[in-house]
Amino acid sequence: MSTVLVANRGEIALRVLRTCRELGHRTVAVYSTPDAGSAPVRYADRAVCIGPGPARRSYNHIPAIIEAARSTGADMIHPGYGFLSENPDLAEVCAAEGITFVGPPPPTMERLGNKASARAAMVAAGLPLLPGSVTAIDDAGEAAATAEEIGYPVIVKAAAGGGGRGMTVVRSRETFADEFRRTRAAALAVFGDSRVYVERYLESARHVEVQVLCDAHGGGVHLGARDCSVQRRHQKLVEESPAPGLPATVAAEMGAASVRGLLAAGYVGAGTVEFLVDGEGRYYFMEVNCRLQVEHPVTEAVTGLDLVAEQLRIAAGEPLRFGQEDVQLRGVAVECRINAEDPGRDFAPTPAVVEAFTPPGGPFVRVDTHVEAGYRIPPDYDSLLAKVIVWGPERDTALRRMDRALAELKISGERLVTTAGFLRTVLADPVFAAGGHDTALLERMRSTEAA
Amino acid sequence: MNTEIGAVLALLREHAVALAAAGPHPPGRVRVEAAGAAIELGWADTPSAPPPAPVAEPRHNGSVAVAEIAGHRVTAPTVGVFYRAPEPGAAPFVSEGDVVSAGQQVAIVEAMKLMIPVEADRDGRVAEVLVADGEPVEFGQPLVVLE
Repeated sequence: MSTVLVANRGEIALRVLRTCRELGHRTVAVYSTPDAGSAPVRYADRAVCIGPGPARRSYNHIPAIIEAARSTGADMIHPGYGFLSENPDLAEVCAAEGITFVGPPPPTMERLGNKASARAAMVAAGLPLLPGSVTAIDDAGEAAATAEEIGYPVIVKAAAGGGGRGMTVVRSRETFADEFRRTRAAALAVFGDSRVYVERYLESARHVEVQVLCDAHGGGVHLGARDCSVQRRHQKLVEESPAPGLPATVAAEMGAASVRGLLAAGYVGAGTVEFLVDGEGRYYFMEVNCRLQVEHPVTEAVTGLDLVAEQLRIAAGEPLRFGQEDVQLRGVAVECRINAEDPGRDFAPTPAVVEAFTPPGGPFVRVDTHVEAGYRIPPDYDSLLAKVIVWGPERDTALRRMDRALAELKISGERLVTTAGFLRTVLADPVFAAGGHDTALLERMRSTEAA
Repeated sequence: MNTEIGAVLALLREHAVALAAAGPHPPGRVRVEAAGAAIELGWADTPSAPPPAPVAEPRHNGSVAVAEIAGHRVTAPTVGVFYRAPEPGAAPFVSEGDVVSAGQQVAIVEAMKLMIPVEADRDGRVAEVLVADGEPVEFGQPLVVLE
């Protein structure tokens, strides 16, 4: 039995705490002052206030997390997603303090966290890349020559970027030099690292990612693919597993390549390899996420595995208890993100007090949330309120079930607008319903609406 | 009739308490009415400004409830370990009865070997030091009471 400190907040903190409780671990929540009294704080065996609202002084403040672990005797830290989850410094400090960090070893995290070095590592493991620079380019002239060689449109991406930030699509050579400089400046400002690389931009592509588990003994399996093509400015809104329309042979090939790539990089834990897939079913490596992902429940629903439990077992040094042949994917799972955002005002956040909240229920519906009536949405953090996950034996049933669940969801408050209604229009879109959508779906829906 | 008003009042009170607890810090203004039914709570418009004293929320590590302490409370600037003196064996920064001025150091909180000074944020006389030397403290936890 361990004492696990969850260095996060909101729905993911509660979700991790629940698995800890099932496994019999003692639990510690940490919280900032606006999160005092929130659901995960009340759920944990102990809770420690680590700072004020701004994340840099609380959830992103390594000394505060470590002091909270020390004072509560925590021997494991689960970072959730976001915040410090992909911060090699926290992983290193944990190692120095004798605390087990639930995630990959710091050097692996460092190498894969940087998009440029991750690309180099995955090329070495034989994963296909989009045409472009394998490593970062500093010189605007050299970058322009690379863009010319690749052919427009190209995308300029910050090597340290992530979460959909720090990238610019450039459609013509006339604007390239300006956009290149601007992206570098923005990357330096946002990520403290100006390095960027250039690759071909696919106008029509799907975002498909593979969930991988690696133990500390050289074992690794993949748990199928998730399609996350329903995105708005690279922020995911709907995710599903398996990826619709992706031939099983291609999915298996991508899975095997992902395991190979992560094992070669010394990966340990749960990780995700993201790909773009073009209209011909060709796949290209994009990046590695060294953490649990928001959309992990769809994988849990089709595999029957608890990914957090697997993470904790792997972190404790246990070998995987199953091989690739034991992983059976069953049915289709879909997740919708209920955000406090107004789709009618370009998804502007709507911090407010949730006055009434009734989550959906019924067969094969899971809701991961920390929200309850009276919950005040803090302006300091992301706008995710709840994740609705459904399962069905086939995609049509799952989509109908999701629509039914979203219709049941009641959430209201003064000036509170959520994505729930908008998500139902996505489900009703004929292209989405047929599984033929790509990452341009929401843009297309918007322009159709405007016309 | 009176029992009906009583029931409305009880319900309003319950909602007001729940809303007050959900806020980032205790409300500065509360109004509860009955027959016409009304609740009103007001917070200052600075949600993430000065660290509110954590009252009324669950404490799991044995800290005493702090709601009834009178006087001004100097709170912990970070989570860490509380020290009354600059080094082991040295005289404490302050003791009960000492008069302090705003900006004067009254203690240390150590977070990962960083010694973070705790300073009085106003003039006053030390009425009580609430935490024992070497004890872990949370962010915002009251440390010293000034009168």
